[in-house]
Amino acid sequence: MAHQAHAYHMVDPSPWPLTGAIAALLMTSGLAVWFHFHSTTLMILGTILLLLTMFQWWRDVVREGTFQGHHTPPVQKGLRYGMILFITSEVFFFLGFFWAFYHSSLAPTPELGGCWPPTGITTLDPFEVPLLNTAVLLASGVTVTWAHHSIMEGERKQAIQSLTLTIALGFYFTFLQAMEYYEAPFTIADGVYGSTFFVATGFHGLHVIIGSMFLAVCLLRQIHFHFTSEHHFGFEAAAWYWHFVDVVWLFLYISIYWWGS
Amino acid sequence: MYYRLNAVTQRLTGAPATVYNPQGLRPGVPSVRPPPVFVSPTKLASEAGSQVEYLGANRVPDLQKVFQRSDGVPVHLKRGLIDKLLYRTTMGLTVGGALYCLVALYIAAQPRNK
Repeated sequence: MAHQAHAYHMVDPSPWPLTGAIAALLMTSGLAVWFHFHSTTLMILGTILLLLTMFQWWRDVVREGTFQGHHTPPVQKGLRYGMILFITSEVFFFLGFFWAFYHSSLAPTPELGGCWPPTGITTLDPFEVPLLNTAVLLASGVTVTWAHHSIMEGERKQAIQSLTLTIALGFYFTFLQAMEYYEAPFTIADGVYGSTFFVATGFHGLHVIIGSMFLAVCLLRQIHFHFTSEHHFGFEAAAWYWHFVDVVWLFLYISIYWWGS
Repeated sequence: MYYRLNAVTQRLTGAPATVYNPQGLRPGVPSVRPPPVFVSPTKLASEAGSQVEYLGANRVPDLQKVFQRSDGVPVHLKRGLIDKLLYRTTMGLTVGGALYCLVALYIAAQPRNK
């Protein structure tokens, strides 16, 4: 960095885009091989490669930012744009599943009994565990905001505690949802109701797990003094993602659990 | 480093007083621990007591020294042996996996005789 006359980041050559691309190839072709030849080797190999790539690539981003000082204000601005655009793409991803749900539920076909919920489907009571799940995620939104303010005010202990609480709430949501999946009186194979329910809530649950992992990494970084009160974009990105996950749940709850019951 | 270019004279001016200074990054300055920016300025060590060291001491300045060594090593190998081992394992799986994948796809493309 002492040799550049600009504030931008010219990254070192890196092998991770290649390993990530090959991981994607192995996972997708592995999926096909699993379907047709009952062997999971290729897919598992791809998943391991993906995990190795993610670990090393993001480890390098932390090294470049925190230890080498490459994340100057213009660079950070680019990272912010990147995260916002990524979350926007995820919004569109979920939009598709909500489209599928409303397409099927607003004009239920005769095959379903002409009604929604379809004939024979016992829906989950929206005022039992789903309502608790809503409270859990809303509370986690409060605790992550508390964590942010603690970081900005240099309150190390409070930041660690509130961030830990946020992650605990995230895990609690996942646990409750797993219980619900186990106990549900319908499955993914139960017509379009089952499909829309489990695909939409399933992808949401996956995003809760991803968000919890992101927050957990932030917790480790906060413990290791990576964040300062002025500069903690990794945490902000995790918090944005977490709020996005929370909002998706609210839409899921209102549409599928409440209106759809 | 963060320079400013004077567009009129097309010359670099020195770093301004308000230059962006990420935590502890002081190029050209020998290894001196930066003032602890993680403790709020109103808290003294004598006042904070047990709060001064919560879950370990700050090793970031030491790591900054390690990663800012001008040895031309790319960032993904900068930590030495552990980085090299992990890189080689990953690359091994990448190349091996890609070949295995091509073989599997070739086999999968063979017609199945009923």
